Amino acid sequence: MPSLKDLKTRINSVKSTQKITSAMKMVAAAKLRRAQDSAERGRPYADRMQQIINSLAAKADPSSAPQLLVGNGQDKTHLLVVVSADRGLCGGFNGAITRQTRTEVARLRGEGKTVKLLMVGRKSADALRRELGDSYIEALEGIQGTSVAFADAASIGDKVRDGFEAGEFDVCTVIFNKFKSAISQEVTLKKLIPAEVDESAPSDDQGVSYEYEPEEEELLAAVLPRNISTQIYSALLESSAAELAARMTAMDNATRNAGDLIDRLTLVYNRTRQATITKELIEIISGAEAV
Amino acid sequence: MAETTQLELVTPADIMVQKPAEMVVAPGAEGLFGVLPRHAPLLSDLVRGIVEVHENGKVANRFMIDGGLADVSGESVTILTERAEDLDKASRDEVKSRADAASGAEAEFLNAVLAAL
Repeated sequence: MPSLKDLKTRINSVKSTQKITSAMKMVAAAKLRRAQDSAERGRPYADRMQQIINSLAAKADPSSAPQLLVGNGQDKTHLLVVVSADRGLCGGFNGAITRQTRTEVARLRGEGKTVKLLMVGRKSADALRRELGDSYIEALEGIQGTSVAFADAASIGDKVRDGFEAGEFDVCTVIFNKFKSAISQEVTLKKLIPAEVDESAPSDDQGVSYEYEPEEEELLAAVLPRNISTQIYSALLESSAAELAARMTAMDNATRNAGDLIDRLTLVYNRTRQATITKELIEIISGAEAV
Repeated sequence: MAETTQLELVTPADIMVQKPAEMVVAPGAEGLFGVLPRHAPLLSDLVRGIVEVHENGKVANRFMIDGGLADVSGESVTILTERAEDLDKASRDEVKSRADAASGAEAEFLNAVLAAL
């Protein structure tokens, strides 16, 4: 049976842990609101860009369309851009990304393809370094802070584009956590190259014939590279909102668990104290009776 | 007020401007072009330059944009650009300090903004 002093120490240590987790929860909640806000404000740009690409792609001739749209005809080397967090303590957030990456790499390798990885965020990069470190072409960190800068997304976009043009890979996919709600995230795979085009989406021109300046295909060739940065940017925004949401939920659970633990320990503490008192009383009484 | 077209200036981070305008002049890849209400649908590539918003027959606002796309329809003009700066609100010193801190395309753009101020 633990002594009273041990129990007291234990309770105090759990209490201070609880203070930390509840503070982290509040910090995450406050930041989440901002991140969610900027994720939402980033959507119009990405949506319109996608609309424009959809309507341009519908008109483009597949045989002469830019390679960024239709691919370079090969399917041998895949680049995965893996977006995880720089910091831990956010529940299954990084674990889910790491797991998905592992399965995806195994699947692609099983099909006899070469896989290269561009890691954004420290956590998954560290977790996978031992088994997949050889495939890393780069591991970036420090990009997702409180706010995500478009310039960072653009520089990743440039790397991806340059790599594709240099023939380093044929297909590029981003793996990230999509923010669904404050309590749920969804691991999402999004294909960057060849660009994902929603053929079924009703084109927004509604039969109106657009004039293009310059010609459709030149325009498409100008838009597609920008679209890569845009897609990466929106993945980063989603991911950082999802990270904060995951951290908030995880810390909320931790705070609640700490509360339960404190209750249980307090119960044991009180029982032990009562037992000691009873024992002392018995000793006194039996001592008095003996006299 | 005369007939207007709805201008939207959208950057990756935000919708920067959303307001009606009598005429919008944009730096197209094949030359400057003005957009009046009921303009024929047009999709144009843009280069780095100044977007002018006309109201009441005068230039009301000027924005420096760093290339992008203009999606013009009869009742609206949507400009998508990666970077934009409001030339009426930006202050010289502030842009200068940002230009010094930035690098690459961002710095080039801010220097262009500085030159236009």
